[in-house]
Amino acid sequence: MAALWRLLPVTTLTVRQFTGGRTARLVFVLSLIPALFAAIYVARPWDVTPNAFATDLFRELIAPTLLPIVVLLPATAAFGNELEDGTLPYLLMKPVSRLRLVLGKYAAVLIVTVPALLAGLVVTTAIVAQGPEARDLGRVLVAMAGASAAAAVLLGAVFLLVSLIVPRALLAGMIYIFAWESLLGRFLPGVQAISSREYALRVFDGILDDEFSSASNAALTMLVVAAVCLLLAVWRLRNVQVD
Amino acid sequence: MTETLSVNVNQAGNGLAPSELPGLPPGAEAVIALRGVAKWYGDVVAVSDLTFGIGTGVTALLGPNGAGKSTILNLVSGLIRPSSGTIQVLDRAVPGDTRVYRDLGLAGEQEQLYGSLTGREFVRLNAILQKTANPDAAVERTIDLVDMSDAADRHLGGYSKGMRQRIKVAAALVHDPRVLLLDEPLNGTDPVQRASLIALIRRLGEEGKTVVVSSHVLSEVERFARNVLVIVNGKLAAAGDFRTIRERMDERDHIVRIRCDNPRRLAAALVVEPVTTSIKVEDSRLIAETSDVRQFGRLVPELARQEGIRLFEMQPVDESLASVFSYLVGS
Repeated sequence: MAALWRLLPVTTLTVRQFTGGRTARLVFVLSLIPALFAAIYVARPWDVTPNAFATDLFRELIAPTLLPIVVLLPATAAFGNELEDGTLPYLLMKPVSRLRLVLGKYAAVLIVTVPALLAGLVVTTAIVAQGPEARDLGRVLVAMAGASAAAAVLLGAVFLLVSLIVPRALLAGMIYIFAWESLLGRFLPGVQAISSREYALRVFDGILDDEFSSASNAALTMLVVAAVCLLLAVWRLRNVQVD
Repeated sequence: MTETLSVNVNQAGNGLAPSELPGLPPGAEAVIALRGVAKWYGDVVAVSDLTFGIGTGVTALLGPNGAGKSTILNLVSGLIRPSSGTIQVLDRAVPGDTRVYRDLGLAGEQEQLYGSLTGREFVRLNAILQKTANPDAAVERTIDLVDMSDAADRHLGGYSKGMRQRIKVAAALVHDPRVLLLDEPLNGTDPVQRASLIALIRRLGEEGKTVVVSSHVLSEVERFARNVLVIVNGKLAAAGDFRTIRERMDERDHIVRIRCDNPRRLAAALVVEPVTTSIKVEDSRLIAETSDVRQFGRLVPELARQEGIRLFEMQPVDESLASVFSYLVGS
């Protein structure tokens, strides 16, 4: 632990804040919600194959709503809580570059969210596999895991930036998730072009259908957008005023 | 200790050299320099026209609640940007140059700390982020300095206010900075802790560090700082040694208490002197007001000798920091 503090002080601090408070627990509980649906399906299966059920679950629940919320909680808390309670000066008043601060916080967000999401998907898939005539679920799991990791990378950066710009970032994020990703993103083609859900589903479909160029293009776009958001967060942190 | 003062300072100060800034003794260099600094939020002016320098030693930042003391500390820390003017700490522009933080420590007024960390972890985090050469040794040294060794392994969330104050001071000191900013460090401390912190502040000043302490407990400030910056309504009302500031307040007569074996006779001799403004006899003592306390101080023993009166005590009664502060704030 002492070595972690020395190597990655900002990340270690932030992970401790997440695990010491409610954030990490909420992230893990939310990540396991798909498993609950899977259990209901296995208990009383309806007229879909386990493969189709898992795919629908990812398309309709995980990608547009659950995954963004799981990432939103720690990403907005990473800087937002410190801005709110006045502890940010303990980081800002150090001879540490703002880029290092942002990357440290971002790493903590991914450390908490990605394993939680993957664990939730593994448990969900394992339960769905108990359903009738289950087969080829490993491939669906890989597709869901890849798409979730890519979406977490993108949304973690987006929400980290939002928390440095918007005072009530959690509320703003929730509105974005429910209004934009979950509702408008389904119906308006223009909105789909700038929806994380769409890119996550392209990665998902690409892996599922062996169209790796499509998946990697989508993942690369997400990575570039994430990088831009992180650079904007660095700029914002340089100009942030803490009263 | 500075021997220079400035009263009713109100100048842009952009052209002043670091050694010419108000608040500095002759020949001293400003470690912290503010030139024409103002900060406003919309229509509300928090501070304005701030031009002063702070050298080594302890300087107290005084002012009524809401005068702008914390705003000034936040400006010097680089946590907020001035709306106009420039700030330099150790010749580096603030905010903007994060290297200044190698030599700058702040124990701010915020109550919240990282509740899930222990006191020792919190100080160590600061040491690591400051890239201190031997963080573990520095942590133990500073925790010991603020008498927190016994409680260092408890979580910050369970600390009392006084304990939080002391651990914040330890965190601000862990990298041995040349400049230390303390915002109301005595708040919430018990008398023993307070005495210990005051001794620490004095020692740091004597070691040549620049220590700026914001406080409203004037009786305690007097124990560690002679040099003061008095802020009233966001403006600098006075800067320098508070006793010298008092001497320069020409419009305020000085009050002197004299005890002797014949107060009525001494009063009769003093009342005809031009420097005596008023005089009254209370039991065995005289309360005199004078326009020139130095001349009055020479005159009284001389008159007592001529009149054959035995003097027991002669004491200025309105030269305490509290008196100077109340005059400045009142005016």
